[in-house]
Amino acid sequence: MRKYRRLIGYALRERRTLLTILGLTAAFPLLAAVQPWPLKILFDSGLGGRPLPPAAARWAAAAGLRPGPAGMIALAAAAGLAVFALQSALDAAITWAWSAAGQRMVYALAADLFRRLQRLSLLFHSRRTVGDSLSRLTGDAWCMHTVAEGLLIAPLQQTLTLAVVGAAAWSLDPPLAALALAVAPALGAAAWFFGGRLKRRARASREAQSRLMSFVHQTLGALPAVHAFGAERRTRREFRQLARHATAAAQRQTAARSAYGMVNGLLTTIGLAALTYAGGRRVLAGELPLGSLLVLLGYLRSLQSAAQGLLGLHGTLRSVEASVDRVLEVLDAPEEVADPPQPRALPSPVRGHVRLEGVVFGYEPGRPVLRGIDLDVRPGETLALVGPTGAGKSTLAALVPRLFDPWAGCVRLDGIDVRELRLAELRAQVALLLQDPFLLPLSVARNIAYGRPAATRREIEAAAQAAGVDEFIRRLPQGYDTVLGERGAALSGGERQRLAIARALLKNAPVLILDEPTAALDPATETLVLEAIGRLMAGRTTFLIAHRLSTARRAQRIAVLDGGRLAQLGTPAELAAADGIFARLLAAAGEGRP
Amino acid sequence: MKPWWFRLGRYARPQAAGLAGVAALMLAGVALETLRPWPMKWIMDGVLAERPLPVAASAWLARLPAADTPPGRLAWLAALTVALYAALQTVRTLQAYVQSGIGLRMVFDLGADLFEHLQRLSLSFHGRRRAGDLLRRVTTDTGCVRDLVLWVYLLAASSLASLGAMLAVMWRLDRGLAALALAVAPALGLLIRRFARPLTDRSARQQQLEAEIMALAEQTLTLLPLVQSYAREPAETRRFRRLSRRTVQAYLANIGAQLRFKIGTGALTALGTAALTALGGWRVLQGRLTPGELWVFLSYLAALYAPMETLAYLSMGYATARASARRVFEILDAQADVRDAPDAVPLPVVAGRRPARVQFERVTFGYEPGRPALREVSLDVAPGETVALVGPTGAGKSTLVSLIPRFYDPQAGVVRWNGTDVRRLRLAELRGAIALVLQEAWLLPLTVAENIAYGRPDADRAAIERAARLAQADEFIRRLPQGYETVLGERGVTLSGGQRQRLAIARALLREAAVLILDEPTSALDAATEAAVMAGLAALQRDCTTFVIAHRLSTVRRATRIAVLDGGRIVEVGTHEALLAAGGLYSRLHLQPPGSAERPPAATGAEEQTART
Repeated sequence: MRKYRRLIGYALRERRTLLTILGLTAAFPLLAAVQPWPLKILFDSGLGGRPLPPAAARWAAAAGLRPGPAGMIALAAAAGLAVFALQSALDAAITWAWSAAGQRMVYALAADLFRRLQRLSLLFHSRRTVGDSLSRLTGDAWCMHTVAEGLLIAPLQQTLTLAVVGAAAWSLDPPLAALALAVAPALGAAAWFFGGRLKRRARASREAQSRLMSFVHQTLGALPAVHAFGAERRTRREFRQLARHATAAAQRQTAARSAYGMVNGLLTTIGLAALTYAGGRRVLAGELPLGSLLVLLGYLRSLQSAAQGLLGLHGTLRSVEASVDRVLEVLDAPEEVADPPQPRALPSPVRGHVRLEGVVFGYEPGRPVLRGIDLDVRPGETLALVGPTGAGKSTLAALVPRLFDPWAGCVRLDGIDVRELRLAELRAQVALLLQDPFLLPLSVARNIAYGRPAATRREIEAAAQAAGVDEFIRRLPQGYDTVLGERGAALSGGERQRLAIARALLKNAPVLILDEPTAALDPATETLVLEAIGRLMAGRTTFLIAHRLSTARRAQRIAVLDGGRLAQLGTPAELAAADGIFARLLAAAGEGRP
Repeated sequence: MKPWWFRLGRYARPQAAGLAGVAALMLAGVALETLRPWPMKWIMDGVLAERPLPVAASAWLARLPAADTPPGRLAWLAALTVALYAALQTVRTLQAYVQSGIGLRMVFDLGADLFEHLQRLSLSFHGRRRAGDLLRRVTTDTGCVRDLVLWVYLLAASSLASLGAMLAVMWRLDRGLAALALAVAPALGLLIRRFARPLTDRSARQQQLEAEIMALAEQTLTLLPLVQSYAREPAETRRFRRLSRRTVQAYLANIGAQLRFKIGTGALTALGTAALTALGGWRVLQGRLTPGELWVFLSYLAALYAPMETLAYLSMGYATARASARRVFEILDAQADVRDAPDAVPLPVVAGRRPARVQFERVTFGYEPGRPALREVSLDVAPGETVALVGPTGAGKSTLVSLIPRFYDPQAGVVRWNGTDVRRLRLAELRGAIALVLQEAWLLPLTVAENIAYGRPDADRAAIERAARLAQADEFIRRLPQGYETVLGERGVTLSGGQRQRLAIARALLREAAVLILDEPTSALDAATEAAVMAGLAALQRDCTTFVIAHRLSTVRRATRIAVLDGGRIVEVGTHEALLAAGGLYSRLHLQPPGSAERPPAATGAEEQTART
């Protein structure tokens, strides 16, 4: 039960609509109690020659009517019409209110999920597929609807119906009313029995479908590899296999649901038959008018559906429990990287002094990538990070904007532990240029202004010029308004990277992280871009990750990482002269001093 | 072109047996449904009112024990109610079960075709499309075949059948009343005509907005590193909320239209019931109808409007299915611009030689019309040769090599494989003979071993490990938690760029290919690792015709020939020494020590640089 409390919070935001709905639902049982009476008037008074039921007689008298048989038939027809009109008006009002409230709840939940998914660290996402997260967001969030109805609306409505209609039946004929109510426990037992099964199978079915969706997503995402390795037939086979699993799981779910429906229906019908038999005998004995039996049969239907609804709630809730779990798993995932409760403010202006103190970090428990790093990068300094592949250079740089948090030790910006800063404020201070440029399917201008949507066109163009990409953009069909393909397919690697550089330039942050941004550029273009970056690096603290040692030599100091530790630290000249890893790397690259 | 609903029929055909079964169950359900009010009628007329029962019912009752007294008959008729209901439920349950299987199988068959076709479409098609949109077409829009077959055709048939059955019975009981019950139909028809259009439009709008939300979420989650480092989460969440609000509005507009429609049909139903009650009651008073028959009428009337309403909504279901089907066929009809020629020939092989000869003849290609990336490029590469492609960013190096495995087809000119136009070869064979290492490593969420064996799934473990060792990847793989069995994250996040690249190299090494294409294979590697990897690749290059795109002198020097591209043209071809001596673009390009910091950009005099070599 406790897990539903979180979700009920979303429902309570709609409490005004919910109160309206509750008020409207309260009217439902009253209508259910009145609904079969026109039948009784028709059969007993119109056709059977009995007097009108007291209430109807009083109304007729008040209206100055003394109907004969034909009049009573007309009265029955009119009463039936009135009840129906009321019922459908009520139904329409509730559907309307409930759709509005329900949809708003679902999307409020989805928006929170979305925000949450974005805030969870890359560590969380590295363990999940995008397809899986998507299906939680767009599919599982709908459980909100069921939960709100099942916990807030349905219990009240069903209980009221049981009480009101039960009382009405009792007033007609207590023994038969008792008989009508007797089916309820059996229906409850069925609900309990099937609840667990339904839940398990619903979960299995959803998971099977989610696996299929993830597979499609991944394959479409890695299409160049699929093409290059001729894996099309293989992926088709796999698709079919996953689809078969999904079908089987869905059918097992349907089977459970159908069996449940069948048992329910059977129990209901047995109740109906019993009431018909017992009531029929009383009619035969002249103890009960036929019309009353028809009314009781009508009541039986209301009572049974209320009992079924009430006791089936358990099953209904359990059938969405799988979705609830999947939603809560995201909502409750510890935000490895979260805003502190009481964030400290950065001193203004930000100087860009970055300090790492005893930093230990790894992606998987027990496999640290960084094992105790101490580094002090002065404001405005350029520090190159060098080391063999896999030494942890990119990881170290990613700790500065808190894409991850260290296991031990801390990272400080201008003396403040970055975990004590608001994430948005911290990340606004760090511009990042990754190995993969990640362009969005937006216009070129909006891509460049991604970190500063308010930037003017002139600023955007200035950034593009500084990145050496302005001329290229102007040659595009719509210039700066050209919309890029999803993976920037129409651009070459160098062009994409330069767009990303323009984007980072526009952000204008005091700390700059360059993670091999020029790996994809030819030397001539690289030099151009490095010149541009060089102008921009002035006055900014820069972490420069580069494999080309010549690039690293641009830096004021070089930190050599090896096996997750800081092996060497010093100016390029010192390190080249010293006997260490750096000198060996230089020699291997054939870039040693002559 | 055949209409869409006919084309979808292809997917229903394999399920014909199942569909026939469903139809039979459906008919049985209709029959049972029609019988349902009769036991009560017999009770009212034959037991409680002591009228004679119909022949069939009395013949049945005569054979049962204790059926000669009213209570006995009452008991049997009550039991008949239960039996009828149980039978009806059984039939419906079976139908639901069979139907859900059939529905999903049709959907997945269509999905598999769509998926396969999507994979066949060239990268230039995918470059123009959003992955989220395509994903939705495969996973959601393919539901159209189920919607059409089960929720339009079958539902229409079942509604018509039950309407027909009930009307026939009513007709036999009392024509006047039956006619009255039917009289509502034209009014209902008008109502449907009035409401169907807006309903369809509104639901289409709602679906479109839902698709936009999905695309937004997909895009954001895929680009999460970017979103996070630019602190764009609040902005994206705002966009999400804005789209959500619009979706809710669209949904409510849709519901509002539905409700008005429902109230309209409801009012018609109520009027019909009231008229029937009045007229029917009058007839009973006249003695022309028994109360039991009136009961049957009233029960039917309540049951009659459900199928009518269903029919009313059919046009909407049809329109939804059509919209989805259109999105599906839009893809299926996109001609695979790169595909097997009808008269495709087997890969030409020269006996006793694995490497292939690759020729480019006046090849012109551009990603967008009017902006050629390659202009009349000609190049003849002998079997076993290693050609390095160099040139400034955007010169067309990657584009040129991607024409060999036909990721794209040239707009003019020909690419030949051992003398045959690659467009006349079977795509699968052609690509099977090529190993590629691209700038981006494109790892899949499989185990490390499966990733390496991606191009040769039947490779044994020893071969996989040998490839990994040659690619300098074996050591770090063994340090992974489950070694070769470690499953990589979706974006291989737990591997560094260099590690990913080495896996991609191992994957290419494992493939015994005739042509090897290396597109900056070592850009993410440090110098020492690069040297080791290049040594591993050298072993492979002996048995391959190799194209290598690289910036590093050490790599380029190993090539037998170097082709220099600039602005989509080959401006120079030759050996390292010859090109240096010629003093053209090449001498200016590579002699510049990569990224040398303290020096002015490339424009500086070539002589000075030449002198430094």
